[in-house]
Parts: sequence; C-alpha cells; structure tokens
Amino acid sequence: MMFATPLGLLALLAIPAIVAIHLFRRRFPVRSVAGLFLWHIARQTPEGGGKIARLPITTSLVLECLAALALALILAGARLSSAGVSPHLVVLLDDSASMAAVNARGESARDRAVRRVLEEVDRLGNRARVTLVESGERPSVLVGPAALAADVRPGLDAWQPEALHHSLALGLRLARELAGPTGRLMVMSDVTPGPPGEPGVLWASVGEPLANVGITAAERTITPAEGRGAVALTLGNHSDSPARRRVSVSAGDKLVVTRELDVPPGVSSVAFPLPAGLPPVRVALAGDALARDNEVILAEPRPRVVAVENRLPDGRGRQALLKALGALAGVTSAESGHLVFGEAGELDRPSPPGVWRVGFGRAPSAWLAQGEAQDLIGPFVLEKRHPMLVGMTLGGVVWPGAIPLAAGSVHPLVSAGDQVLVGMPAASGGTQTEPTILVNLDLDRTNLIRSPDWPILISNLIEMRRQSLAGPERWNYRVGEWIRVRLARDPKSPLRLRCGAVERALPAGRELEFIAPSPGGLLQILEGPGDDAVLFELGVNFLDESETNLRGLSTADVGGFGDVAGLRAESGPESDPLFWLLLAIGGTAILVNWCVFTPRRR
Amino acid sequence: MPTSIDWAAVRAAASFRLAIPRTPMGGRVGARLGANTGSSLEFQDYRPYTPGDDLRHVDWAAYARSEMLAVRLYREEVAPRVDLVVDISRSMVVTEQKLRAYGELLGVLACACASTVADARIITTSAVPPQPLHVPEDIERFLACDAALSALEEVHLPFRRRSLRVVVSDFLFPHDADVLVSRFARDSAMLSIVQLTLREEAEPEAEGGRKLVDVEGRGELDLVIDEAAIRDYRARFSRLRLGLSSAARRTGARFAHVVAGAPARDVARALAAAGVLEPA
Repeated sequence: MMFATPLGLLALLAIPAIVAIHLFRRRFPVRSVAGLFLWHIARQTPEGGGKIARLPITTSLVLECLAALALALILAGARLSSAGVSPHLVVLLDDSASMAAVNARGESARDRAVRRVLEEVDRLGNRARVTLVESGERPSVLVGPAALAADVRPGLDAWQPEALHHSLALGLRLARELAGPTGRLMVMSDVTPGPPGEPGVLWASVGEPLANVGITAAERTITPAEGRGAVALTLGNHSDSPARRRVSVSAGDKLVVTRELDVPPGVSSVAFPLPAGLPPVRVALAGDALARDNEVILAEPRPRVVAVENRLPDGRGRQALLKALGALAGVTSAESGHLVFGEAGELDRPSPPGVWRVGFGRAPSAWLAQGEAQDLIGPFVLEKRHPMLVGMTLGGVVWPGAIPLAAGSVHPLVSAGDQVLVGMPAASGGTQTEPTILVNLDLDRTNLIRSPDWPILISNLIEMRRQSLAGPERWNYRVGEWIRVRLARDPKSPLRLRCGAVERALPAGRELEFIAPSPGGLLQILEGPGDDAVLFELGVNFLDESETNLRGLSTADVGGFGDVAGLRAESGPESDPLFWLLLAIGGTAILVNWCVFTPRRR
Repeated sequence: MPTSIDWAAVRAAASFRLAIPRTPMGGRVGARLGANTGSSLEFQDYRPYTPGDDLRHVDWAAYARSEMLAVRLYREEVAPRVDLVVDISRSMVVTEQKLRAYGELLGVLACACASTVADARIITTSAVPPQPLHVPEDIERFLACDAALSALEEVHLPFRRRSLRVVVSDFLFPHDADVLVSRFARDSAMLSIVQLTLREEAEPEAEGGRKLVDVEGRGELDLVIDEAAIRDYRARFSRLRLGLSSAARRTGARFAHVVAGAPARDVARALAAAGVLEPA
C-alpha cells in the first residue's frame, strides 16, 4: 500500500481519541423506568469525567474506530501497491543539424536516437510517461509534459533536427525542471559531454564521425555601375582529402551556373559571376553527409545609395569632404540629397523633409553665447556611444574657431571643457523634424581634415543616413539573426512574412524587426492577404561551421539514470479500487452507528 | 413476562363490588337495585296519586287513614354496564413486582365486576374491540403488557354511554390531568381512576449514578440520583398524582392510588375507601 499524502495519516489520531472517549465515558448501571419524563427536570449529568475502567469493546466503538481508520486512509491517499505510479522518462533531444547527418548506410544520428528512445519507452512499459524536450537557443517541449507512451512515436516522427550549433545547457535545465524529483533524465546527442558528465543523467551519444563538405559563408554582391553581380562562397571540407563537388547556381527554374570544384581539406573560397537583376538564386552543393549545409538562398542586394549635397564654400574643407566621400561606396552627389554638408549659420532654417544637415563653422547667432572663438587642442570628450563618433579619438587634432554656444541650445556630442564642439541642436517648438548636426569648427584652419578621424566621421555620417533610408538593413541573413527593415511609408494592409513553411504576421509600423526563422530559405515580406504584394525578398540560410564539421561526433553512454520514485498518475483517487472500498467501509460504519446505536428521543 | 394471579388471595379479598352511583345510569333491567324508581319489590317512597297511575300501586291502607290517595314507589333493578380500561403498556410491567401487583389489582377489580353482576368489558386500545369479561379469570389475558404506548393517551376509546368506567394505569406518561380525566368522565355514569405505582416510583431513594432507560422507548438519561434529583422527582410525581386527584374530584370521579406490594385484601380496602368498591 502506498500513500499519496502521508500527512493524512495524522487523521489516525482520531482512533485513540475515540478509544479515550469510550474509556473515560461514564457508564452507569442501567435501570428501566416507567416515567423518564419525571426525571428530566433534574440536572443533566455530564457524560465525561468518570473513572478509568476496563474498556468495553462495544459494537459502537468498533464501528467508530473502523470509520476513523477508513477515512484516515482515504485522506492519506492510500493506494494499492504501486497502482497509479508510472515511470517518467524525460529525454532531451539534441536538435542541432548535425544530428541529421547520414552515414554511408543512409542512417542518421537522429534515426539512432529515435530507436534508442523507443527502446527505452518499451522497456518502461505502457504505464510510462514520457516528456521529450527539444534543445536549442529556446528549448521547447516536443511531447508532453508526461505524455503517454503511445504519443511518443508520432512526436519522434515529426522531429527533424535542423538548429544551429548551440549549447545543451538550457535544454538540460528545462529537462531537469520537467523531470523533477520523480523523472528519469536522458540526453540524446551526437557528442559526449565533457568530464565529469551530468549527474543523474544518462547521456547517450549516438553520433558517428563523418566527412563533410558544406557552405559555411555566402555573399551575393552587385556592382550597379558595371551591371554585374557575383556570388562568393566559403566552403569547409572537414575531411582528410580533397573532395570533388558540383556547385550549381539557379534562379527559379533556370540554371545559371554549374561548376565542378575540387574542394581542398579545410576552408576555401570560390566566387561565381552573375548577371545583375537576377531574382534570388539558389546555390546548391552536391549531396554528402549533411544536406543542411549544402544549399543557400541569396537575394540580390539593392544598395541604399546616400545622395550627398556639398554646400561647403570652396576651400580646404570642401576638398577634404569630396576626397572622403570619394572613398565611400554607395554615395552619390546630388543637388537635393539625403545629406547636406554646409555652413552652420544656415542650420536654424527649416530643412526640407528627408534631408539631414551637417553644418561647419559659426553657429546661428541665436545659439551663440558671449565670448570669442577659441582654438582648442584638447582634451576632447566624445559621446562614444553615438554612432557618428564610433571609432573616433581626435588624438592630436587642433580644433580652431570654437565659438561659445548658449547653454541648452545644443546637445553636446563632442566637447572640450564647457565648450560644445559637435552637437545636435535641441528641438525648439517642434519645428526641427530631421536631424541636424553642428560642427563648431573652422574647417580651413583645422588639422582634423588630415587626421584619420575625418574619413571616419564622414563615413559614420553617411552610414547613419543610410541606415535611416527605406529597405532592409541587409539582404541575406543567417538563421537566428535579427532582420531589420525600414519601410518607405506606413503599411496600408497587415504585414506578414513567409519563409518556407513558416508564415506569420508582422507588427504594424514602418520599422520591422524580427528573427530570421528556421529552417530558412527565401523570406518574403508581404503586404495584405494576397501573394502579389511582395515588398522584399531576403535570403535566410543555415551557415554554421560548427555543425558542418562532423568529425568530432561519437557514440557512447555516459552516466546513468538517477534513483527516482516515478511519477504518480494524475488521475484522481477514484481510479483506485481501494478508495471505493474504504469509502464503503467508512460510510457503512458511520451509517450503522448512527441508525442503530444513536439513542432515539421523541 | 409470564404471570399468574394468585386467585386464592384475590378471592379471599373479593367481598366487594363496584360502587353504584346515585345518579341515573344506563343498562338493562337487572339484578342490581338502581337509584331510580322502578319495578323491584323494594319499597322506596310514596307520592300523591295522579290520574293514570296504576291503581294496583295505590296504598289503600294509607287512604283509609288519611283519605288521601297515595301511590307506592319501588326502586328499580338494573344490570350496570362496566367499562374497565386496562393499561397494557410496558410501563405496567417494568418490574416483576409491579406486574404481580398489577395482576392482583386487576383480579380484585374483575372479581368486583363479577360481584356487581354487571355487563363488563375490557378496553385496552381503540384499535381492538372491547372484550367481554365473563369470569374474573378472563383478565389474565390482558397482562401481556407489551404495547409501546398506553391506551389512555389515545383520544377516542370505545366507551359506552352511562357506563361505569374504571381506568387502571400508572399514569406515568406526560399528560394534562384535567383533559385526560374529563375525556374519561364524559357521558359516564361514574368514573373511577386507579393509579398503580411501585414504591420506588412514588418515593425513590438516592442510589448514585444510573442510566435510566424508559421502557416505552421515550429516551435514555444518565443521571446521578442524589438527594437533589430525588427532591425534584418527588415534587413532580406529587404534582402528577395531585393533578389526577384534583381532576377526579372536579369531575365527581373516584381516585385511588395503589402502591405495588400491598396484599390484595389491603388493596381492596383501599379501593373501597376511595369509593371505587363497596361491600357486596
């Protein structure tokens, strides 16, 4: 007999209490009388307080003790033997893509893991409860918690490991929580744990060292001026000998390029020219042990070109700006650009929509304070977290022409003492809608334009502006990376993404941010319910050198199951015949005692 | 509880008959002289002659002496109807002594009925028709006393009009004496109430703790029978007996209290002293 709530056995204290009541109860000699009502006026005599006498084993005492015993056992959750207790097996399944690598017989570590789990479930019997946990950056419960043994096989059939390389620690923590003190914990992986293993865990490694060639990095570029593009691949050959592989590049159903490659052991690179304007292309490597790393989808990038308008007066400063802009890609000169470089005195005028302004020299008079211009050599204090100043040091820079500015008129980004050198004017009256940057500097006299900080500053400004332009931040991503897309306008219909079998809604707004979904492929951002309104097509690929390398896989059993009690079935006490037996005994005893032995009074 | 009446002792004391009331009573013409004028040979009185009187009853000798016509009146002879109500509840046999005393009391009354030359019937309950009492020994059939309730607690008993009614019980049940006695006395020629109790029922003694169990199933009571309890009990018992006595007096009935254990002869004398019986 087992007890679900052993504390309920405290109710057995009722039995000695009943015995005590019977023991100490007054027991007077019985006398039959004819007119009991004549005695009722006399004071009642308390039933307790009598002297201890030999305990009379009356039927009432037996029935009361029997009822107390039965009810106490019910409260304690008495169960017959081990009925209602099921072994609970919690299995952490390594969901990394390497588990899907197949050997020469076409058998994968995933297949061996499934077989091993089913054997373990069969060994535990039909009463077993099983929980399957899928590892990953966000571990999840695949089957269960504490599912029936019959539910295990469908869950395992649906399991297809495809995740990037990740630690099993998070999954193991979730599995331990689900196992609790009653579950047996098992890890199915293709690698062995580092010593000393995991206590109380049977770590079954079912991996097998395999040679593999895979794509570990891929990039698609375009040169708009020349009207051509290219695909660059980084290949990893994790074997001891060169491998010959066919690489094919196709756009839709059209094969664009195909080539036989001799991939040397280790890491190598290869590039294929592509015509510009092709839709997303599929680059495929001929089959080997791991299929997951043999294919990538690459969308053609559409660079976000920043149009720059140079309004600086002729002089050293203007020339230095032209020189710095010439070294940057994705920049063009325009009459009405995204970014305007000019004199600082014009910064108090309203700017057209979409135009950022950078002003050099004397600030508008409204921003100025009393005082003369100063030439400064430092020390300079930089707001290093600001993207415009990333990588800048201003070491050895002479900063001439710094005019004192009114307090609160400019938010400082670079300062020397209390003098603001670079800053962003504080918004006044809500009229300033586009970013404006004041550089409180005499460009013609400074050595900043000859220092390494100058091209960095111009590049940072260009990139800041580029990031704010509409379009994706990048066009090709790894699974799990953050994708950021800025729309040119507010969406007119609900947005959604579709990536292979994954399709979900996106939050409304001009700035979209989400994680590249697994297993990857061509990702489309759509507007509205139809399939026609595709806003962007991006490539999401599995690129993981750690998973491509299959040479470190192994087969071994480490550790063993902990000594656990098993999981008590969640079914109620009514499933146990002992419950009904005790209920019948207790109820009958109470009823008989009440009906037969309770004195009748009229 | 088996019983047998000591008929020898009973008959030795059976020189009594039921008292006949002065008031008119029902019954056929019989052997007992009634209180009214009738057709017996026993002279009762004179009255002036009125036209229509039987000339054979004219006392001519008196006419000769007084020159006035007078008619002789004679007493009537009747056979009285007797309804003997017997309490057959278990309280009447609560002890062997009470059972024996109850048997002797009923034997005395049965003999008195026989001496009365009455049309006597035994009433035990309204559910059973009254049984005739032909000979005194018939009373033994009613001493089983196994009823849970006394017949006296029933509202309607099959009394006959203008009958002599004798009610025998211990009256140890909750009741209103006035209501009870009035119900018995209604439309009767005469009512006699005989209460039989044990000595310990009338005058209990301190005996310590006892579990009192009502023989008629009216409950149980654990009680220490001490002086205080006895004082309370006696007061209540006295009120019960005085209530019956007073109610009987108010309705013109006879009341006798018989304590179990007394010889049959003393019982008969006590009944005669109370007016229930009279010398035969």
